[in-house]
Parts: sequence; structure tokens; C-alpha cells
Amino acid sequence: MSAILSADDLNDFISPGVACIKPVETLPKEELKEPNNAYEVTTEDKVPPPPDAPPAQISLTDCLACSGCVTSAEAVLVSLQSHSEVLNALDSTPSIDPQLLAAAARGEQQNGLGEGRIFIVSISPQTRASLAAAYGISEQQAGYMLEQLFSGPQGIRSGGAYKNGFTWVIDTNVAREACLVLGADEVKESLAQSSSNEQAQGDNPTHPKRPILTSACPGWICYAEKTHPHILPHLSRLKSPQALLGTLLKTSLSKRLNISPDRIWHLAVMPCFDKKLEASREELTDLAWQTDSQSQTKQGIRDVDCVITTKEILMLAESRGIALHDVPRTPLDPSTRVPFPDPTLDSFLFPSLDHPRHRNAQSASGPSGGYLYHILCTYQAQSPGSSIEIVRGRNSDVVDYTLKDANGGVILKTARYYGFRNIQNLVRRLKPARASRMPGAAARRLGGASRKPGMPAAASSASSAGLGTDYAYVEVMACPGGCTNGGAQLKPIDLVASSAPAAPATSNGGANADLGLDSAPTSGTATPIASSGTSTPQQQREWLARVDEAYFSASDDEGEGETVGTKSNGTAAKIAADNVNGISPAYIHSMLTHWSNTTSVPLDRLAYTTYRKVESDVGKDRDKGRETERVVELAGKIGGGW
Amino acid sequence: MAASPTAPPTSAGTLKLIAPLTPPSSTRTWLTVPHHSLPLVATATSDKTVRVYSLRSFTLHSTVSGGHKRSVRSCAWKPGTKGESVLATGSFDASAGIWRRWDMDMGMARERDLTGGVDEGDEEEDEGWRFSVILDGHESEIKSVAWSASGQFLATCSRDKSVWIWEEMEDDNFETIAVLQEHEADVKCVAWHPEEELLASSSYDDTIRLYREDIDDWTGIAVLSGHDSTVWSIDFEPAKPALSGDSQADASDRARWIEAREASGPRLVSGSDDRTLRIWRRRPKQKQPAPPTGQGRIPSIIRTHSIEEDWYEEARLPVAHERAIYSVAWSKRTGRIVSTGGDGRIVVYEERWSEPKGNEEKTDGLNPEGTEASDLPVARTTWSVVASIEMAHDVFEVNHVTFARRFDSGRTSDDEEIIISTGDDGQVKVWTVEI
Repeated sequence: MSAILSADDLNDFISPGVACIKPVETLPKEELKEPNNAYEVTTEDKVPPPPDAPPAQISLTDCLACSGCVTSAEAVLVSLQSHSEVLNALDSTPSIDPQLLAAAARGEQQNGLGEGRIFIVSISPQTRASLAAAYGISEQQAGYMLEQLFSGPQGIRSGGAYKNGFTWVIDTNVAREACLVLGADEVKESLAQSSSNEQAQGDNPTHPKRPILTSACPGWICYAEKTHPHILPHLSRLKSPQALLGTLLKTSLSKRLNISPDRIWHLAVMPCFDKKLEASREELTDLAWQTDSQSQTKQGIRDVDCVITTKEILMLAESRGIALHDVPRTPLDPSTRVPFPDPTLDSFLFPSLDHPRHRNAQSASGPSGGYLYHILCTYQAQSPGSSIEIVRGRNSDVVDYTLKDANGGVILKTARYYGFRNIQNLVRRLKPARASRMPGAAARRLGGASRKPGMPAAASSASSAGLGTDYAYVEVMACPGGCTNGGAQLKPIDLVASSAPAAPATSNGGANADLGLDSAPTSGTATPIASSGTSTPQQQREWLARVDEAYFSASDDEGEGETVGTKSNGTAAKIAADNVNGISPAYIHSMLTHWSNTTSVPLDRLAYTTYRKVESDVGKDRDKGRETERVVELAGKIGGGW
Repeated sequence: MAASPTAPPTSAGTLKLIAPLTPPSSTRTWLTVPHHSLPLVATATSDKTVRVYSLRSFTLHSTVSGGHKRSVRSCAWKPGTKGESVLATGSFDASAGIWRRWDMDMGMARERDLTGGVDEGDEEEDEGWRFSVILDGHESEIKSVAWSASGQFLATCSRDKSVWIWEEMEDDNFETIAVLQEHEADVKCVAWHPEEELLASSSYDDTIRLYREDIDDWTGIAVLSGHDSTVWSIDFEPAKPALSGDSQADASDRARWIEAREASGPRLVSGSDDRTLRIWRRRPKQKQPAPPTGQGRIPSIIRTHSIEEDWYEEARLPVAHERAIYSVAWSKRTGRIVSTGGDGRIVVYEERWSEPKGNEEKTDGLNPEGTEASDLPVARTTWSVVASIEMAHDVFEVNHVTFARRFDSGRTSDDEEIIISTGDDGQVKVWTVEI
């Protein structure tokens, strides 16, 4: 523990974690550590820190991705997405006149659409559930409230430079249903392929490796790309509902109205900070689907321009001087509705109220979209007499779902893994054994493949156990409790402000609070505490139960299934014909085909995406000397030595 | 509240060197832990190995090597094993390792019946140590590892600010059951309660945090704030309190004290960069005999008792160090505490019954705020320095100190206690307390 840092020791501090801005922001105040700490500051004396020390930045605190590895570039991308960015966008240009849009929808070509942008917002069901729990209203009422806020006369339209608002408010559930159908297709195709051609697996990039892992959770994707590149071949290639909806809106509108995608401004409201990171991915811009070659050189235009979170809804309302609890919880006047310019997509994006599609998942499908459950239902529909066996694991966030035939034979083995700790166990099982780390053990390993306690243990590193490979599919989400418990959902502490009417003085609307960073009053010195200084674990559980109840209530309200009234187009008949888990694959496929045909872009480029290993640039491509200074500085400060 | 510079404590006792463990490491040694039943200690060494020494002969018994790419910072014997020894290692390479070796291979079988002094014999090729599992997950240097009393759980902590809990499954498989990210900085030390499934961690953020499983989530249940700087080391009191010293106090008062101590359970000692050693004590919950653990509990709405616990600073030990305290240990046999640190000093403390009334001892129990006087036992205790030694490892810093049972031929009783110190000079030294 002395101050002698050898060259070897310096290496101790070159790791991805150091690259993160978090250590910068947690540097202790200098005066605290000076006098009697000579044993660890001497090296700093020898290597004075660079005078232009990087400024501390505020980054995400609630997300998994920032457990030491959000890069500063990402932090900037994220900080650009805030409720004030929404207001800036609205104030930068007027909305395109709805009359002109309606005319375009009817196919009456006039002289263009004039100036301005089309503003569209898509809202996640988890956001509605969080607000419903906060205000003690139903999830549907929360949905109406948000429609009124974004689009209604008493909402944000009541202020701002152009008195403009959002032309369309879309439920991301519609895109989720397309994702569920495509996700089930992907699993079927991948499993069929892997069983018919075992050795080709992994060589073929068009299908993920078994077990296929859900890729809709951006925190999980970010973590996997940075920390566990070995699992990337397992990831579902399907876009998330947020991303798919973004692509759908931008492609179809820009083609149909013949406008540039940057004249469509798409906001998503999500339960999760990491969705901002997802929206910033260059894979999810028009570069992925534009067909004209000239666009290839410029910077891409995002499919989702901005993501704000449930927490930021409160700030958005406050910034416009709107009391959210005073916003009507009733539907907008249907006569003011602007039809989407494509009738097929119009009925897809805006299903009628009594349509079976207008609902969240059933509780069996979980709080995160229900990917796993829909796959099981798809297989179950093909296997009469089969049943789903549900076995809870070590904790409530690990659940095995096994589809068994009438004789108890296993048809499909799948699981749900939520939360960082459980993800650890999953990725470890999927990790190739690292024999190189154990020179001595490697030799023995060959002889002792099947060992029992008492046999010379092979270097399993808990990896070759193969538990993970039993699964065909695993629904992975970074947050314990799934998406209803997203990092940016309202917490009990947030309610203190929101439930007190006419208390705008509690505003956290300043620029630094844009990310919704812990707007709670810091809880000071009190012992005992609750984790993250907000509320006790019991309170958190009770709260989450209320949010889940609101989330699932949307389906309970309507009972099971038989409400097949629909507003147009005769889609009801199709739904009744091949209903799987309340969704008609044929209908979804026909919509997707229509989308691909009208935009002249293959579905493969519209609905799927890619992942890449992200490597830290610390210790690489940089001035070595400077890097050493930085490392020594951090070594002295962040860890307090050894 | 930094203590003023301190002269070497002028206590009567000293520490007498029995022997160094030979050969020493040519590189820095971090920590030495005694085996729970065999006369062995394991020393974590910065040459990426663990050196296992015999406490009978004070010589190197075997070396655990080949698994880590960087310094082994910490290691711990799994408690309660029979027939096979299990060692967990935590390394600066961000991984933890689980190693196994048959006790037959330890050369202990023939030795057990002898009184000592026997060489462990042929220096086998260390074939016996098997690297059975790597635990990956931490993002940066692991600083400390600790097994729970039952051996079911292993805790690790790291510079990445997190504390992980691993559960041993069947067939050499470990699962991550908790990732606790409550500290705001480097986590230096983890320690388990000797009787309960209660974990403590200490950090560069100057706090100590306690965790417990609630339903099936491990969660923070208390923060112990008070230290003004890094808390390098923590250790729990043994399950049975052991007080020494003459009984000046009234017998019934002493009985009440012991009763109160048993109600709060084992205490915790912490050693810090602020040069203080503090004793922390749990305030017993009203009419709630055992804190709830495990599953099958009724959902929380019906529960009236919080899982949170209230721990307060009960006492401070006399300030006897001039620089950071790196290590503190609480004896399971004598109830003594030993500390060491950057000043190269090793200091032994003892808890005694206070003089009845009158004497206002600085080191006496602090009356915790909000505690009614009637809650406090009448008899009080005082911590005092009973022995110390300067420059235990010459000019080098001493990284770790612990108690162990004495096995060598010089021992006078089965239960004789020794102190083992581990230094930056690569030396591990064995001491006895002479008062």
C-alpha cells in the first residue's frame, strides 16, 4: 500500500471503467484528502494532473449502461434528448397544417405541404401505467391524458412560439405486436435452421444462434456490446418497438408525402433512460433504409428524434405551465383527428377502442412486452394439447417457461432473465471456456470432462455446464421487475411533487435536471436508509405492484378476447381466423408487406438491425504520455489506492 | 474529527516475534488468513499467487498459482469444510477464483497426532491445488472476498464500487445472486456476520453498509456513517462476547450488560484512514426476536417491521496509530482487537469492565442519541491498549493483521493465540502478546 507505483501497477488502472466519465464526477473534493494521505498522493506530485482536467459531467445514474461504461460521447447524445429539447423542436418550426395533411391523405396533391414539420409522439404502455398508478386513474385514462397533453387544446399546444403540438399520438403497442409476430418468426426460422444444419450455425449471420436473446432492452444491448461480445450472435436481430415504429413513420410518411425524413419529428416516451441511447444508434437512422445513394455520405437522420421518459413528462408539462392533473382524461374529439395518409397504416396505427389489439399484454406475458409469451403461444397453437409449465427460479426475475406436449415431452424450453445479477448468470453460461487462463488446468480438462464433486475439477468456470444452451429463447431485460420498473419510471418520491396540486415551485425544470437525475431531495445522513435514498424496499415493491396492476388492467377491463368489433377494412375477420395470443400474424404480415411495397424497401432493411462489439479506446490511439498522467491521476483519486 | 498526532501508546505489553514465515515473498504480500481447522495460513501475494504456510513449522507448504493474471489481493478459506479445503481468491485482474485441495494432500493426516515441529515433508509439485471455478463479473480490481458463516455464500467487492454475492450451487457452479451498487466509491472490505446472513462492506466513500436478503432480493439495510475517511477494514465480534479484566462492577450489572449485548448481537469494528477504530452496535428491535430471512414471507403490506436496522457507534478505541489503519481483527478466542496500518505499528486492545462510576473515560461508550438512559446497561466497558509494537515490518507498511491459533512446538496450551501480520516487504510474521 505504499506509494511506489511500478510500471506494472500502472496497468492496474487501465481498464474500461477508467474511460467512463463517472470517475470524473466522483472525484473527491481535493481539500478533503490532503494532509495525512501522503501514501497515496506522492505519485500525483511527481506527475501533476493536466491543467485542463476534463469537466465533470452529469450522466445517467439509473441505467445499467452507466455502471462504469457510458462514454462521454454517449452522455452527450443522451443529454441532447430532454423535455426542453422537445420544446425547442416545437418552437423551431410550426406544425404542418393538418388540412394539408388530410388533403394529402386523400391523395389530393396540392402545392406541397408548406413550411414546418410533422410532430409525432409514440407512447409506451409502461409510461401510461406509471402515470396511472401515480394519479390513481386507469391506464386508459392516463393514455387520454397524454393525448390531451401532446395534441389537445389544453396541452402543450396552449403555449410556445407557434402554439403547435403533436399531430399524432401513437401507442407503441401497435409496433410491439408487429415485433411479437416477427420475433416468433425469427425463432421458428432460426431453430429450424439450426436443427437442419447444426454446423452452419454461427457462420450464417442472418439468424441468431440458439438460445436467442431478446434485444428490445437497450440497457442490455449496451452492456452486451461493451462487456460480453460473445453473446452478440445470440441477439434477436429484430428492432425494438420504438425503433420499428420510428422506421415505419419516417419511411412511410417521407415516401407518401415526398418530404425529407428530417421534416418528420418523432418523439418517443419511454420508461427507460437507455432508450435515449438506442435512439442515438447510427444503425437506426435513415442511412439504413434510404435508397438514393447521395444520402449515404451525410449524417443519418434518426428514426426516433428524441426520447423522453415518464419522469420527464412531468417536467414537460411544468415547463409549459400545465398542471398535469388538470389535463382532461377524456378522448380527444374524433372529428379533429387527422387520418394517417396511408389508410392501411392508419388502421394499423390507430386501432379502434374495442379492437382486441388495443390492450396491453396479459399478466402471463410479463411487464416487458411479452416476447417470450408470444413465442410460446405461437408454438402452442401448432401443438394441440400442449401446455406451458412455469417454474420460478432463484428469484422472481428468473422464470423457466417450458412448453410440453400432451405426454409431457418438452417442445420448447425458454426462460425469462431480468435484472443485472441474473443476466450475469446467463452470460456466464454462454461464455466459451477460457482454458488459456488456467495453463495447469487445461490439460486435465481434456480428461475430466464429466466430473462430479470429488473428481479433479475441470476448468469449467461455470460455463461448460450447458445450462444456458438448453434454452431456445430467453427474454432478457436489464431492469429487475422488467420494463414497468424501468429506471425512468415515476418513483414514490416523485409523487410528493406531482400529487400536490398547484405546487409548481417544486420544479426541477432546470437544464441540469433534464435527465430526471435524482430530483428527489437527497436524504442526508439518516440511518437506516433505503437503497438509492428514496424509499424502503417494501415501499418500492408495493409501488411496483400498483404499476403492474395498472399495466395489466388494460386487458382485464375487456375480458378475454371476444370483442371483435372493428372500425373498418374488415380486419376483424382475419384476426378471428388465425388469432395467436390476440394477434393475427396474417394481418401483421399483410401490413408489413404493404409497408415494404409502398416504400420500395425490403422488409429486411426495415425491421432488422445489427449489433457491434464496442471497444474501449483507453490506452489505445492516444498520446501515451498524457494517458499515463491521466491514469496516475485517477489512480490517486478515484480508488483511494489499493 | 481527525485525532491528533499520537505518541506510541505507553502500554505495558508488547508483541514478541515468534518467527517469520519462510521463505518470504520477494514481492508485496497483502493479507494472511488462517485455516479454520488445519495448521495452515494462506497469504495473498502480488506475484499472482497465494502462498500457503504451515503454522507448525513456519515454512512454505504449497503455492496456489496459475490462475490469476495480476496481484491476488485477498483470499478466504471456506468455513466448515472437512476432507477438502476450499480457498477463494480475489485478484486485481477483476476475477475471483475457487481452489480445492484434498486435505490428504495437505500432509495433515500423519501430522495431526503429533505435537508439532514436523516438517510437512516432500514439497510436492502442488498438484494438489485445483483451480475449479473462475468468477467473472467485476469490472475492475477485486479488493476483498469473504465466505458467509455457513459457507453457502461468497461475497466479493471491487474498485468498481459494487459488492457481489455468489451462491455455490451443485457441481462447482456459482451463481450471482446479488450485485449491490450502493457504495459511491471503491469498496475495500467485506465481512459476514458470524451467525446471521448479514453482510457488511466498507468503502472509500467513508461509509460501512449492511445488507440482508429481503424476500429474494439482497438489499441495503443500514449505512454506518461517521468515519472521516476511507474505511479500510471491518470485522465482526465473535458470537460469544469475551470480556477480560477484573470485575470491579457489580455482578448483576455485568449480567445486564451481557444480556443487552446478546440482544444486539455481535458488534462490528471498523478501522479507517482517519486513524480511528470504532465499534458499532445494533439497536435491538422491540419484540422482534429474529430478523426475518428467507422466503415464504407474507407480502410486505402486512409486515409491520422494516428490514432496516439501526446501528450506532458504541465506542471508539484509543487512538494509537499515526497513519491510516489498514486492517483490524476481532479475536474469536479472547475478544481482543488488533490493528495495524501505514505506520507499521501493531496494537492490541482489550475490553474491560469500567471502574464503577466517577471515571470519565474518553474511550468509553458514547451515549447514542435518542437512547434512553434506562436502555443502557449499568455496567460499562472500556477499551484500552494492552500491547503494541513499532516497526513490525521494519520501515514497511503493514497491510494486514489477524489472530490465529498457535500450533508450533512452543505453545503452552491448546487454545493459545498468536497474531499474524503481513507486510509490504513480502514478510509474514507470527507474534505472541506479552503483557
